[in-house]
Amino acid sequence: MSRGLNRYAILVACATFFLIIAGALVTSHDAGLATSDWPRSNGQFFPKMVGNLFWEHGHRMVATTVGILTIGLLIFILAKESRSWVRKLGVFALLAVIAQGLLGGLTVKLMLPLAISTAHATLAQLFFCTTVSLAIFTSRSWMNATPIAEEKGSLPLRYLCTAALVTIFLQLIIGATLRHSATWDKQLPTELILAHVGGAFAVTLALGSTGITVLRRHKGISFLTRPATVALTLLVVQLILGLSAYLVRAASPNDPQPLNPMVGVTVAHVACGALVFVTTIVLTLRVYKVMPASDSAIDLSARPLES
Amino acid sequence: MTKQTKVWLALVLGLSLLALGSACTKKGEETTNKSDAAGPKVVYKGATGTVTGVVAFAGTPPAAKKIDSSADPVCAQKNPTLETEDTVVKDGKLANVFVYIKDGTTADGKKVGDFQWDPPSTPVKLDQDGCHYRPHVIGIQTNQKLSITNSDPTQHNIHPTPKKNPEWNQSQPNGAPTIEKTFTVSEVLIPVKCNQHPWMKAYVGVMKTPFFAVSAADGTFTMTGVPAGTYTVAAWKEGGANGTEKTMQVKVDANGSAKVDFSFGEAAAAENKGGLQMMPALEFPMMGRSH
Repeated sequence: MSRGLNRYAILVACATFFLIIAGALVTSHDAGLATSDWPRSNGQFFPKMVGNLFWEHGHRMVATTVGILTIGLLIFILAKESRSWVRKLGVFALLAVIAQGLLGGLTVKLMLPLAISTAHATLAQLFFCTTVSLAIFTSRSWMNATPIAEEKGSLPLRYLCTAALVTIFLQLIIGATLRHSATWDKQLPTELILAHVGGAFAVTLALGSTGITVLRRHKGISFLTRPATVALTLLVVQLILGLSAYLVRAASPNDPQPLNPMVGVTVAHVACGALVFVTTIVLTLRVYKVMPASDSAIDLSARPLES
Repeated sequence: MTKQTKVWLALVLGLSLLALGSACTKKGEETTNKSDAAGPKVVYKGATGTVTGVVAFAGTPPAAKKIDSSADPVCAQKNPTLETEDTVVKDGKLANVFVYIKDGTTADGKKVGDFQWDPPSTPVKLDQDGCHYRPHVIGIQTNQKLSITNSDPTQHNIHPTPKKNPEWNQSQPNGAPTIEKTFTVSEVLIPVKCNQHPWMKAYVGVMKTPFFAVSAADGTFTMTGVPAGTYTVAAWKEGGANGTEKTMQVKVDANGSAKVDFSFGEAAAAENKGGLQMMPALEFPMMGRSH
């Protein structure tokens, strides 16, 4: 295990989160087509960043930085990491960031078709998930975690976590579709809003029950309770942000331009959604790590090291 | 190489080819070629008249909203008093209303859209000056040139979002050559925006016939050379999701002048129940637009 690699993976994950925020700012400002060319902006690699070009070209610059960091991460992994599946995940991360860049270019060149814009937003979440996973897999707490057992006769936590994760991911896709289906000066389609609200109920149910189950069954095991607590807290924040985003977004078509309250709240909703997703991934990975598929002959007194 | 790696390599390769293909697409290249110019037609040679009128705004107009242009210092410096232009009212008269003959027949019973109406050789001009479009609303005939200039010392991009014509988006830095475009299908109206300055909006009414006008600052409009006949005249004002349209019937006599006035605003809606006719959503083949 390399502490340097783990710290670098955390750096890449943080940069990816910042990139998601930068991308959300582009969408909320309706800046995706501030320039008609790609990868250059108005024919330049370093254009004058005024108006909405600040957001669009800024997003491209952050994305380029993350791309370079990801190349560095793969080199670091290949140099320091012996586990073949981690090395493969590093390769996957690089391929994902390349695909993400190409999707970003495609969506500009094709003038923001809904399917490609949504795919771009969804792959962003998957890439974030990958970088966070790499940070988890290279951490000391992951290496030193020891197995613990499920309660006999109860629904395995693995299933609950997986269900929550899938539900959140589907909700992210609906949210991405909703965000890209209309610009700030048009009303969002009602059917997609309803689908997203329905998704919010499903996520609340799935993640809420998962988090509460973790807290109830594994009290004192911070390896599990910490991500569960963070996920539940973020879920509450996300629900509040979702309601706020709906209200400001419903009013924005009457505004003369994208105003800061609408931009701030919608971007925060996207960012918090990403955090809910990756926190649930952390919880799920840890559950899979310490809870084998078969819980027979597991020492209940075994405790993983603190993260 | 594992199977998963192969799949990802294939995906990346496919996306690369797609990106390359799209990058090779010429700007403004039309993706749909449906045109109004279908089949040989006859030039109208009969008697004509004029349609004039005034567009009023009844009641208190909504106050213009101030635009924060500080994101681009050039805009803030050149036009520090930028405001919205969706309802420009002076002395109760409404500007920027697009008025057009929506449907109707000439005196000999033929549809006005069935005749051939060649587009003028002079282009319609649209300028970006002070970080807003001038004029705010324009009319143009199908296949007539739209000439777009940038008078600002900053960069703009012009992005019409039509439903029937091909969409395009083109950057125009300061000093860049004039952009010339045409629209081949009639469409009322095409929103035009600048994604660099999201407050910038214009509307282009594309018509098969030359019978359209935009109300001036005093609310007046004039349509000349209208074949004698009976027509539905429509007036379109921006606002809401798709704007507001009102229609009236008018009879144009040979060498005569028909007058048709419109009124917008909440007070007008209350006063003119049964007066001005609010038309339901209809599709007129002549204009190719539903409301």
